[in-house]
Amino acid sequence: MRKGRVDKDEVSRLSVDVLSRLQDLTGDPYSYARAWKGRTGGKVMGFYCHYAPEEIIHAAGALPVRITGENRVISDSGAHLQSYCCSLARTGLDMALGGDLDVLDGTVFVHTCDTMQRLSDIWRLDAGFDAHFDVVLPGRMEGDSSREYLYQELGSFRDRTGEYLGPVDDEALKRSIGIHNRNRVLLEEMYRLRRQDPGVLPSDEVLMVVAASAIMDKEEHNALLEELLGTLETRLSGGGPPPQSSLCKGEEKEEKIRLFGIGSVMDQWEFLRMVEDAGGTIVDDDFCTGHRCAGAVAPEGPDPIESITARIWDGALCPCKHAMSRDRAGYLLERITGSGAKGVLFFQFKFCEPHAFDYPHVKKALDEHGIPSLHLEIEQGSVSIPRLRTRVEALLETMRGA
Amino acid sequence: MTVAGVDIGSNTAKAVIMDNGDILATSLIMTGHQSRLAGRRALDLALREAGLEEGDIALIVATGYGRLTTDFTDQKVTEITCHAKGAHSVQPEARTVIDLGGQDSKVIAVGENGKVVDFVMNDKCAAGTGRFLEVMAAALEIELDNMGEVSLESESPASISSVCTVFAESEVVSRVAEGTNKMDIVAGIHQAIASRIYAMTVRVPFKEKVIMTGGVARNIGVVRALEKRLETSLVVPEMPQHMGALGAAIIAEERAGA
Repeated sequence: MRKGRVDKDEVSRLSVDVLSRLQDLTGDPYSYARAWKGRTGGKVMGFYCHYAPEEIIHAAGALPVRITGENRVISDSGAHLQSYCCSLARTGLDMALGGDLDVLDGTVFVHTCDTMQRLSDIWRLDAGFDAHFDVVLPGRMEGDSSREYLYQELGSFRDRTGEYLGPVDDEALKRSIGIHNRNRVLLEEMYRLRRQDPGVLPSDEVLMVVAASAIMDKEEHNALLEELLGTLETRLSGGGPPPQSSLCKGEEKEEKIRLFGIGSVMDQWEFLRMVEDAGGTIVDDDFCTGHRCAGAVAPEGPDPIESITARIWDGALCPCKHAMSRDRAGYLLERITGSGAKGVLFFQFKFCEPHAFDYPHVKKALDEHGIPSLHLEIEQGSVSIPRLRTRVEALLETMRGA
Repeated sequence: MTVAGVDIGSNTAKAVIMDNGDILATSLIMTGHQSRLAGRRALDLALREAGLEEGDIALIVATGYGRLTTDFTDQKVTEITCHAKGAHSVQPEARTVIDLGGQDSKVIAVGENGKVVDFVMNDKCAAGTGRFLEVMAAALEIELDNMGEVSLESESPASISSVCTVFAESEVVSRVAEGTNKMDIVAGIHQAIASRIYAMTVRVPFKEKVIMTGGVARNIGVVRALEKRLETSLVVPEMPQHMGALGAAIIAEERAGA
């Protein structure tokens, strides 16, 4: 072994360990919560949306766990939700009614789209959890009155959860904000390293890392991220082997085409692996289980609720939210260009109205800038990889000028 | 230099053998349940027709939904790229390809160079595909190959509102029970397909000339209904089912020569 170089096997093993842990976590997210509960005796709070103020839940000593539905055949929820609701809502409710989320003590719903708001009502009446909270965000994320309203709503959430989870004082909340900020900074760093060289970690693993941040205790996740980033930096400085994770297969024949992903929840690992296998890689994204969880931190100050308000207010806009002064197409174009992506994959849930409304506007902007894109519509539970593969390969062939 | 293109579709497998731009031989067989074997058999048939052996072939390119499972081909290219390539070779002025195959339908925008500019694909439902027509032919006890001609005799096509294969079949059964003429029902089915494909075509959006490929292009009734709906005439190549395999062979030639 040459001096200054890390043992090849050592780096691979490290990586495989971290990643196999991530696979276990994302494959069965609620086992972690059960173990955590057994260990700490704390409460577990489910939430659907990345706008949920996790810091407040965390500061109260509870574990916030994100619900992202799953690939399953709908049974119980069919009696409550029409088939024109997205599969995220339908499979999530099905899990709740079927007892698969019994580790949860309560749930926090953030008002984003109509389906989520109605789902919250059904959930409160039928899912049978101890606690239920709504955080009603403003639809329009601009103007002083909207911002003041958001501040009040977050303060009210702190009070309401306090009654159930126990009161949250400013110091505990500030500490929590620090931990969550650290997480966002570390996630952003992972994205930055990937933009520098996408070969450092395949896209399915990047999104698994982000997904794990909404499953695990944040401090534990921060430690995992620090370990992972160390590995990535070693790889980038030429010290480590090419990415040899347990999930990567085949050898690189030619440089992968950089793509940018747009959508809400992205937890279709097999799909992401297929994209990598077909010669593409999602180098950066705007998934709400992806880059939207990274970056924007809560500015630390005397009033922690003001800090969280600022984070949500200034952070990436979800298509559910509106601000005349912040054009999403312009924002996305900037991100796409900055990431070096040459094409875009829209990966959307069927019946997701906010994303569907957003699509023509964003697509038009991409066309005007000569950025090729592909619109894929899926439903959890009926994702057919070979079908999607033909489309993805055709896009990549087009981009290679076949 | 001799090359081959093999297109393993959901319904049929096709092969085209080319030598310096000339088609030496073609084949077409039913895919059946073993798509890998079907591709092999289609290639062997074409080789026999050409009086060649596999060793004479410089490069084999596979396409179609069975492309990924083949082990005898050198490269794999999607049917979207191959149909554009094949259609461009027979009609260089074509800017839109409508490919209606056994189990999916595609509309492809093609550039002046025969390369794909954009595409939409429907593989979630059987509406507008060969499979849809097979189900309808069975419900009406009519030969699949006769559907086109029969429908041209209709003067007042029946209204078939559903494009879902299952619902359309029950609608067809209702029309039969009402005593509607067979020719009118078939013409109604073709109109329903045309409406469905029209919706996809405007999404690309389509430019003239429009070329139609895939097995459904052999149904003159669908071709006429689509022409009426699109308000343009369609180019139907001599062997519409072979356009994918032809495109694959052309790509094989380009790559083998490169």
